[in-house]
Amino acid sequence: MSSPLLLLAIPVATAVATAMGPERAAKWTAFVGTLAAFAASVVMAVQFPEWHSGAFWPESVEGSALQAFGVSVTLGGDSVSMLLLLLTTFMMPMTIAGSFTAITERQREYYTWFMLLEAGVLLAFLARDFVAFYVGYEFTLIPMYFLISIWGGPQRRAAAIKFFVFTFLGSVFTLAAAIYVAARHADMTGVWDFSLATLTAFGSEHMTATEQFWVFLGLMAGFAVKTPIFPVHTWLPLAHDQAPTGGSVILAALLLKLGTYGVYRIAMPVAPSGAVETATFFGILGILAILVTAMICWVQTDVKKLIAYSSVSHMGFVIMGLFAFNPVGMQGAVMYMVSHGLSTGAMFLCIGMMYERFHTKEMDQMSGLARRMPVWGTFMVLFTLASLGLPGLNGFVGEFLCLMGTFVAEHDQPAGYPGVMGPWFAVVAAVGLILGAMYLLIMLGKVVWGPLKVPGASADPHEHAHGDVGHGGLPRDLNFREIALLAPLAVACLAIGVYPRIMLDVTEPSVRETLVAYPARVNQHNAERGLANPAQGRGVAGAGSTKTEVRP
Amino acid sequence: MNTAVEMATATATATASPAVTVALAFSAVLFGIGLVGFLVRRNMILMFLCTELMLQAAAIAFIAFGRMRMDLGGQVFVIFILTVAAAEAALALGLVVLLYRRRETLSAESWQELHE
Amino acid sequence: MNLLPLVLAAGDDAGHGSLANAAIPVATAAPELAWLGWVLALPAISACLCGLLAALRVRNKLPAVLTVLALGTAFALILKVYLSRGPDAAPVIVHLWDWMNFSWGEGPWKSFQADVSLYLDSLTLLWMLFVTGLGTLIAVFASEYMEGERGPGYARFFFGVSIFLLAMSALVMADNLVLLYLGWEGVGLASYLLIGFYYQKPSAVAAAKKAFIMNRVGDLGLAVGIWLIWVNYGTVEYSALFQAFTEGGGAQGGWDRALIPFCLMLGAFGKSAQLPLFTWLPDAMEGPTPVSALIHAATMVTAGVYLIARMQPLFMLHPDAMATVAWIGGLTALLAATIGMAQHDIKRVFAYSTVSQLGYMFMGLGVGTAFGAAYHVFTHAFFKALLFLTAGAVMHGFAGQLDLRKLSGLRRVPGFGVVCWTMLLGSLALAAFPFTSGFLSKDLILVQAFSEPRFVALGWLGLATAGLTAYYTFRVWFRVCAGPVAYTPGEEAHGDHGDHAHHGHADHAGGFHPHAPRLAINGVLLLIAVGVLLSAVPGYMALRGEHNWVQEMVYHSTAVRAAGVAHVTTPVAFGLDPHGLVTVFGIGLGLGGILVALWLHLLDRRMADRLRTALRSNPLTGWLPTCMENKWYVDQIYDVAFRQAAWITSHLLHFFDRHLIDGLLVNGFGRLPMMMGRLFQPLYNGALQGYATTMAGGLILVLAWVAWRWLGAGGLA
Repeated sequence: MSSPLLLLAIPVATAVATAMGPERAAKWTAFVGTLAAFAASVVMAVQFPEWHSGAFWPESVEGSALQAFGVSVTLGGDSVSMLLLLLTTFMMPMTIAGSFTAITERQREYYTWFMLLEAGVLLAFLARDFVAFYVGYEFTLIPMYFLISIWGGPQRRAAAIKFFVFTFLGSVFTLAAAIYVAARHADMTGVWDFSLATLTAFGSEHMTATEQFWVFLGLMAGFAVKTPIFPVHTWLPLAHDQAPTGGSVILAALLLKLGTYGVYRIAMPVAPSGAVETATFFGILGILAILVTAMICWVQTDVKKLIAYSSVSHMGFVIMGLFAFNPVGMQGAVMYMVSHGLSTGAMFLCIGMMYERFHTKEMDQMSGLARRMPVWGTFMVLFTLASLGLPGLNGFVGEFLCLMGTFVAEHDQPAGYPGVMGPWFAVVAAVGLILGAMYLLIMLGKVVWGPLKVPGASADPHEHAHGDVGHGGLPRDLNFREIALLAPLAVACLAIGVYPRIMLDVTEPSVRETLVAYPARVNQHNAERGLANPAQGRGVAGAGSTKTEVRP
Repeated sequence: MNTAVEMATATATATASPAVTVALAFSAVLFGIGLVGFLVRRNMILMFLCTELMLQAAAIAFIAFGRMRMDLGGQVFVIFILTVAAAEAALALGLVVLLYRRRETLSAESWQELHE
Repeated sequence: MNLLPLVLAAGDDAGHGSLANAAIPVATAAPELAWLGWVLALPAISACLCGLLAALRVRNKLPAVLTVLALGTAFALILKVYLSRGPDAAPVIVHLWDWMNFSWGEGPWKSFQADVSLYLDSLTLLWMLFVTGLGTLIAVFASEYMEGERGPGYARFFFGVSIFLLAMSALVMADNLVLLYLGWEGVGLASYLLIGFYYQKPSAVAAAKKAFIMNRVGDLGLAVGIWLIWVNYGTVEYSALFQAFTEGGGAQGGWDRALIPFCLMLGAFGKSAQLPLFTWLPDAMEGPTPVSALIHAATMVTAGVYLIARMQPLFMLHPDAMATVAWIGGLTALLAATIGMAQHDIKRVFAYSTVSQLGYMFMGLGVGTAFGAAYHVFTHAFFKALLFLTAGAVMHGFAGQLDLRKLSGLRRVPGFGVVCWTMLLGSLALAAFPFTSGFLSKDLILVQAFSEPRFVALGWLGLATAGLTAYYTFRVWFRVCAGPVAYTPGEEAHGDHGDHAHHGHADHAGGFHPHAPRLAINGVLLLIAVGVLLSAVPGYMALRGEHNWVQEMVYHSTAVRAAGVAHVTTPVAFGLDPHGLVTVFGIGLGLGGILVALWLHLLDRRMADRLRTALRSNPLTGWLPTCMENKWYVDQIYDVAFRQAAWITSHLLHFFDRHLIDGLLVNGFGRLPMMMGRLFQPLYNGALQGYATTMAGGLILVLAWVAWRWLGAGGLA
């Protein structure tokens, strides 16, 4: 049995075991299952031979359905997939452990849906066939729908329906675009094949520029809603607000990455000239995402909605990094994907712990919680700083490289990279750094720092009569389980910040492979459209010629 | 048997003789009268009457086409239509009686519950 | 290498002309110095341990001990490396580990290298010596000062101090701009944590937030500067960069190259509290006083000066940038001095004084003497730290009282002798009393300013500010330490936890007894006072034309091109050459300021109030005291122009997002099927004849179409 299949089988088996087992053992079964999945993913990572080559492994064909249409379940990953896989299997046990005391009814169902969610996400990251990817990608909507609509907040049904319908609507365009590419391939070669390798090779080489443009937009429709990119992001704050903690964590940490992963793995390789043509448009949307949602964050009163909008803001950076079309930007984007998953997932876990104790997320009702929960306060400050991009923590590397990639995007044209964004995009986007600091520090100032105000309690800050037990049977500050699940996240944030090479080294070959087709395709596209070939060089402010003089 | 052969050879050449044309026109007019009547009338029995008219118009059209193609199938079909019409009349009038008993009126407007 | 006599003997513009193309020393790798990584590791370890102690709720002074040990050892290591090398050794690079390091091909912009490596030249060592030295001393001071917070708060304080030292060391010793940026933001973080140390006070939380965000605005400039440097020079590492500067990669190049110094300048101004990003520094006084002394007087705020001094060769290629730096520095100095004259809180006065002195340092950099600026950094670090620490001792002893209207004659209060006399020494240095360190360092800067025709106005500005400086400094001293003994205790000293009972002894029957400082505080004050005295030596030697230690250090660093001081002998004004001019007017204005302060604040204290009332009642000058007391309304202007504008914009965008994008487009789109359904709903009214009509209508349409096609195809023919 190949390791990807084993890895997929574990969550499914755990789901079955949880569903059929007793109610009280559900959370433990799920927890053990996620740990087993993590272990299996580590084993697979150790076995993975292609960390430094950008190739895919193992490309194992696990079966085929609809053979006439070339659909087969081919599994495999490259280094970027492996990183996202590890992120998934790392976050899941934390999320399960974080839900232990939060979910008290219908626990079996809850954990079963979680395991199925994990299976879907893993399938999407491991798929080498478009239909398998799409199945995994869409399948995650179902458990998420149930998670939100059963265990969520007061408006859970509306949130769940909106989330489902909106994402699904975008995804059908993705499916249509992919089917178009496959149909063209079938026209040309007479064979139907949905494998990503074939679609990529065919799409980038044999489709005309116009086709690539429309195919790209179609593919992006689904991924844009999932990422989410600015105008189509409104499902996210509502979904986060109403979802239970575990659901929010997975939504922010993993499901959002499916969108950007789709852009990286499918949209960009299949339709490169479409990507280049629309890069300015998506760059502007990225900037709008960064700036507009940052300002919206500032006036939020609900802390989960604030973090949700901040996720949109951060994904704006990822989009800009991806559309910079140079290795700096794309590596930054991949790094930021993983970093954001860790830090925002951790922040949602922290907020969930606070919510379990105080049953409110309104920032007006609480203040100065660090006095009562210093350990929690420390973690919250740490993850907020990671989110805000403080150097030394993981967010900085991703953010900095994304912006740098955008800044030099045009300059790489002599080298053949077709970047179209330029310094101004980066400078405007970098204002997002300031805004990010602003709203996150305002959030900290309202929730963590300040005079103590416990929601719903009396005004006496020295409530010794309450003992050490807070609300909901939980101790006032974090208990061992909660610390044990936040600590690895903190360590990961710090480690990636201090030694980002562990990720930069392995993402580089993959990014190189993704970009390798670009210069040729873009030249072809420009030739088709009668445009000048960008490889003739175009410096900034006429300083192109002098730049070559001062090479150290 | 010569008539049969004659009729068979005449099948290929479908001509619209004046008689056929008149019959088709008559059928169309009858159908139109029936249709308009059905749409305008409120009395259920009269609506049913108009339905029967439309049906008979179709029967006449069958005869006309049968004559045009020298095919006796048209006339055979008319027998079917008459039979079906009779059966259907029985059912329909039975339903009308039941409906009348409910609302004490034969007006079709009194029954509008099946709406969106 | 004793080049200075040559330099000095060369006559007009000597220091300027012959050094302008001096070679920037080339750095070599020195892996044998990898043990210097401990300078970074030690504060990191002490930070972790302090964090652990905070979690364990330890109640003794162990965090302080650990921090002092770590910082002291770091200082010792720096001292060791300095002594083993000497000031004229070539710079070395010590590679610790790869940080962001990748390449994707050959050619321009195909590789990016920013490692955790140290770049040690004499400028680095100069900075590190006083950063680690003062850091250690102030940590000792704080061990006693913060003892009321023993417990998690105490450990948290020293955690912050350790993080600060880690970040500052990274900033100063970095060998590339990205690691500098890490240190840059790290000191911002430490500042945030420490200003907001008393986090239960909303004013402290707000001040911490303001500091971080204003720094971030500057950091944006720094980041853009780094990117521009990478794009234009292909590297962010110092050694390669300076080689590029030397090879003449210079004045030509587009506007983007000219923009680099302006971007870096913005970062420096944010960090060093210059116009327009200075309002965070006075608010930062919400933090405990050792924090103000260490971070906001001596070390963090000099990071901006360090950046510009380090990038001096780049700046010298762009005279406009230099002029901008000089003018902003000068204007900030004047503005801050005017505000400082009208404040009543001692720490606020010193804070504005810091802003003002930083302005001098930038002026020095801008007029072309990095040596003068570096020397002023060095002297200012000592005397300003001393002043803040004395203010802290006063605060510690008088339950948080810092209003200079409520304290008087403290030199006669038992136990406060050391405090008052060291405060006098610091004040003399700040006021540039002849031959104190402050006088000598300011002298260098102003002489250079007067030596260049385009900066003469700036020189006068500097002199005027020096007069004001002397006035407000001695206003504090005469009010607080001299005169009749009288004091009112403050309300609280260290936040409102209520779980310590040491501040003041107000529970005594007789009233309030001041809490005299003990060994840790007095000892540190004396040590730093010695430092203030000793720091005058290099300046004195520069005055006599001998080579001195600070100038050597600057000369052998990348700031070599601005390591001299001009010796112009042509008269500039009043028949005096620059040196004479500065001496005469400097001494005159300084003594004048001290005398005015003496008159208004010692001899006849009500005179100050009468003067103020007179000024306010006169319509021509009425605005002056009001504006000065209200800090020229800068905070209010920023509040309206930025905060409120942003707040309104945010609400508008939120409205737009919720109601237009979400409401109209998304939900509206979702309602489309429903609306379309309603459009057709009247057809399904349950009326039988309605259905029949529809059917008939459809049938007729189909027939019509068939007929049309049939006729069109020649059906009737």
